[in-house]
Amino acid sequence: MSALDGAARLAHGVAHADTDPAVLATILAWTCGPGRSPDVLRRRYRDAGEGVTDSAATPGTAEHLARIARDDGGLDGPLAEVACRVLSRWSARGVRVAIVGDGGYPGRLAEGWPDLDPPVLLAWRGEPPATSGPGVAIVGARNATPYGTAVAQLLATAVARAGGRVVSGGAVGIDAAAHGAALGLPGGTTVVLGCGHDVPYPVPHARAGGLFERVLDDGGTLVSELLPEVGAHPGVIRARNRIVAGLAEVTVVVEGGGRSGALLTATAAADRGREVMAVPGDITAPGSAAPLRLLAEGARACTGPRDVLELLPGMPRGEHRGARATEVAGPPSRSPTLAHDALPAAVHRALERAGPRGLAVEDLALVHPGGAAALLAVLTRARIAGSVEDVVGGIRLRAGPARPPTAPPVPPAARPLGPPRPSDR
Amino acid sequence: MQTPARPRTDRRLTVVDTLTLVGIEARPVRLECAVSGGLPGLRLVGLPDAAVREAGERVRAALQRSGFRWPPLRIVVNLAPADLPKVGTGFDLPLALAVLAASGQIDGRGLDGSRVHGEVGLDGGLRAVPGLLAVAIGAQQLGAERLLVPEQGASIATAVSGIEVWPARDLVEAAALVDRRVDPRPVRPAERSAVPVPGVDLSEVRGQPVGRRAVEVAAAGGHHLLLVGPPGCGKSMLAHRMVTLLPDLPHQEQLEVATVHGIAGGPHAVPTARPPVRAPQSGVTAAALVGGGGGIARPGELSLAHRGVLVLDELLETPRPVLDALRQPLEEGRVVIDRARSRVVLPAKVQLAATTNPCPCGMLGHPRRPCACRPDRIDRYRSRLSGPLFDRIDVHVAMRPVPRERLTGPSDAEPSAVVAARVARARAFGRSRRGSDVNRDAPWEAVRTSADSGALRLLADGLDVLGASARAHERCLRVARTIADLDRSDTVEEEHVAEAMALRLPGLPT
Repeated sequence: MSALDGAARLAHGVAHADTDPAVLATILAWTCGPGRSPDVLRRRYRDAGEGVTDSAATPGTAEHLARIARDDGGLDGPLAEVACRVLSRWSARGVRVAIVGDGGYPGRLAEGWPDLDPPVLLAWRGEPPATSGPGVAIVGARNATPYGTAVAQLLATAVARAGGRVVSGGAVGIDAAAHGAALGLPGGTTVVLGCGHDVPYPVPHARAGGLFERVLDDGGTLVSELLPEVGAHPGVIRARNRIVAGLAEVTVVVEGGGRSGALLTATAAADRGREVMAVPGDITAPGSAAPLRLLAEGARACTGPRDVLELLPGMPRGEHRGARATEVAGPPSRSPTLAHDALPAAVHRALERAGPRGLAVEDLALVHPGGAAALLAVLTRARIAGSVEDVVGGIRLRAGPARPPTAPPVPPAARPLGPPRPSDR
Repeated sequence: MQTPARPRTDRRLTVVDTLTLVGIEARPVRLECAVSGGLPGLRLVGLPDAAVREAGERVRAALQRSGFRWPPLRIVVNLAPADLPKVGTGFDLPLALAVLAASGQIDGRGLDGSRVHGEVGLDGGLRAVPGLLAVAIGAQQLGAERLLVPEQGASIATAVSGIEVWPARDLVEAAALVDRRVDPRPVRPAERSAVPVPGVDLSEVRGQPVGRRAVEVAAAGGHHLLLVGPPGCGKSMLAHRMVTLLPDLPHQEQLEVATVHGIAGGPHAVPTARPPVRAPQSGVTAAALVGGGGGIARPGELSLAHRGVLVLDELLETPRPVLDALRQPLEEGRVVIDRARSRVVLPAKVQLAATTNPCPCGMLGHPRRPCACRPDRIDRYRSRLSGPLFDRIDVHVAMRPVPRERLTGPSDAEPSAVVAARVARARAFGRSRRGSDVNRDAPWEAVRTSADSGALRLLADGLDVLGASARAHERCLRVARTIADLDRSDTVEEEHVAEAMALRLPGLPT
């Protein structure tokens, strides 16, 4: 049995049902050669003049690519052995792979083939990306402000609740806020990795119990165009943004600096003729440079979740639950818990005015008549009741309903009070 | 000219009692001097260090300058116990007197019941030796009736009661004193409070009501304090002013401080009422902080701040090994340095006032300036503060820069004296109940039983909800006890616990 046949056998376990394992093995073996990559193959395809008039890849595209690969010859041998290793690594992680134009490859992403460079291969873990609902890319900087993360969460919650897919890049900051808010909601979320499936990046999300594990447990998807061991470096992370844009009908830029990768995502979306929205931000904050520039260049302003949902095809229109922008940090539901009454009116008003950015405790001390000591006690009660939360800027009101009142009182004797025991360490 | 006594050819053994310092503790040393015929020369045995070995040269020259004679005999000097390393120049005077007595130039009857310690110059003059207070305390504890020391610096030894101090200007006077030919001159008692009060006051800190409250609570309970905030928000100012809130030290503690400072050359070498404050640079090494060095272990910054405040600016810029070195001293109130030959214990009951930036660039949480740090770098930066050390810091607060308009104009802030009065009252309030000076190291039962059930319930439920560790229960209740003391309340109530929890949220605040 030749090495290439072995690769094809291995590819059986990895290829999507609509993808021919032999074709996948051939393309992979070619890709593993020196100076080659899936993107080089795409350019060869484009330069060969085949299907230049295509507006999208078709089920025949994979076979075309394989033919180009086979024409070069020399695939059976060392290259096929490398392909075998790649396939077994994918297989060990439960990764499935589709070739552009195949049934398992998202149609939205294949648009513009080959000029707009959709990835030749798409490798995913979790739910197949082709089956998810209409997508909304919610992107922004890693270095996010409390305002940015609050807006990302608000938009992602509304989109996912309405059945839309939240797509983002899996980075810390805005991306993580968007993914996290979509968990447990009907639409779910798709993470586009900036590295291969075997590379744990970013570390806090890739570790056990991290965001990526939670996304998979929730029926979400992790996708990557890269071979399993390709590490995260700036080039591939930037290239990843076009996949984020390609998987989504609408791209919303929440926050980002003047050179943010979110601008690349917006450009890629515009190239594909998709809607680009930007969230208006503080004009004095450097983190607002990207969305403000997009707005100046004619992007749609995102003034609330409703603006996003109206652009999604097949979505119910009109008022959605949780669609008002004021809910970012509007007055929490007025359940008459003890804690709400405990927050003095002056403090509550000041926090309401401050919005999602929150207010420094020192500033609250200026409006609270009782002095610093009493204010600290008040804030502890409000924290326990869940009516306020700590953010980078200080304290802010929590969006949504407060925590239910604490459990029925337990006699203090039953509580594990006492000097720390060795087991506590 | 005095006719030298004819050297005796029979064996004579002279003994002079002296001391050596191990850490800050004086250990008895017996200097035995045997003179015999043979090739003239001096042989020093008994683990002398380089300074002790040079004593022979100094003493020989000094004796000749002072009109005495260096006996042309074989002299063997043993420093007993022989296995204890002897360091320093304090053996010069005992050696000189031993040689004089052994060669019959003095009769040495005043040496009984005396301890002798001091350095000799080539001209025969006597010089002070560092750590004289430690020597005097040691001599008194060893039951000596008197201590013969150089006049220079002898006043410090009078701070110790129960021992007579004989000051001597030079070898001639020392010899006369030992022979009881003259009466000892009176020593001027040590002057108190030679250290100027620090020229800082809490009223110089504008705004920062929460930070000021945190410093007050920390000072009242002896709790370690961590202030987090962007550069220029006044966190270092507050940390440096914590010492102004602490009460005066009682006499015994002043002596402890002066002992350490006398050895290491700190500013509190004379007993001083005000507690010391030490603020080493953020690049401080573990050895400089903890103490150490060759020969005797010199007290480090931790011991110099004993009974006072150790200000550590930019705690997270401090290398990890240095932070780890802080842990045990903060827990035990003492520094233990283990050496191959000895184990040195130095006092280190300090109160930590630390400050740090919230992130590598420092601007996280700044109301106007943006933070340029990536979130993962912030996490890594903040994780430098190890859990065990962080757990020992009971009060931590975030601070914000004060707007410029509030920085100008007359200060409306309370001066240190007002706050210090409250702190002193709070400390006095609970002293009989807890049986210790401050709540940080009060017996746990005394703290726990003074809390009412509502306070304990709020603590237990609240910390569960806020996600704090079980250890936080204890530390938080101790801070609450301090707040109750400030409030002059015998029981810890819910309100006190609620404030304490705000001062000790889980995780480093921003």
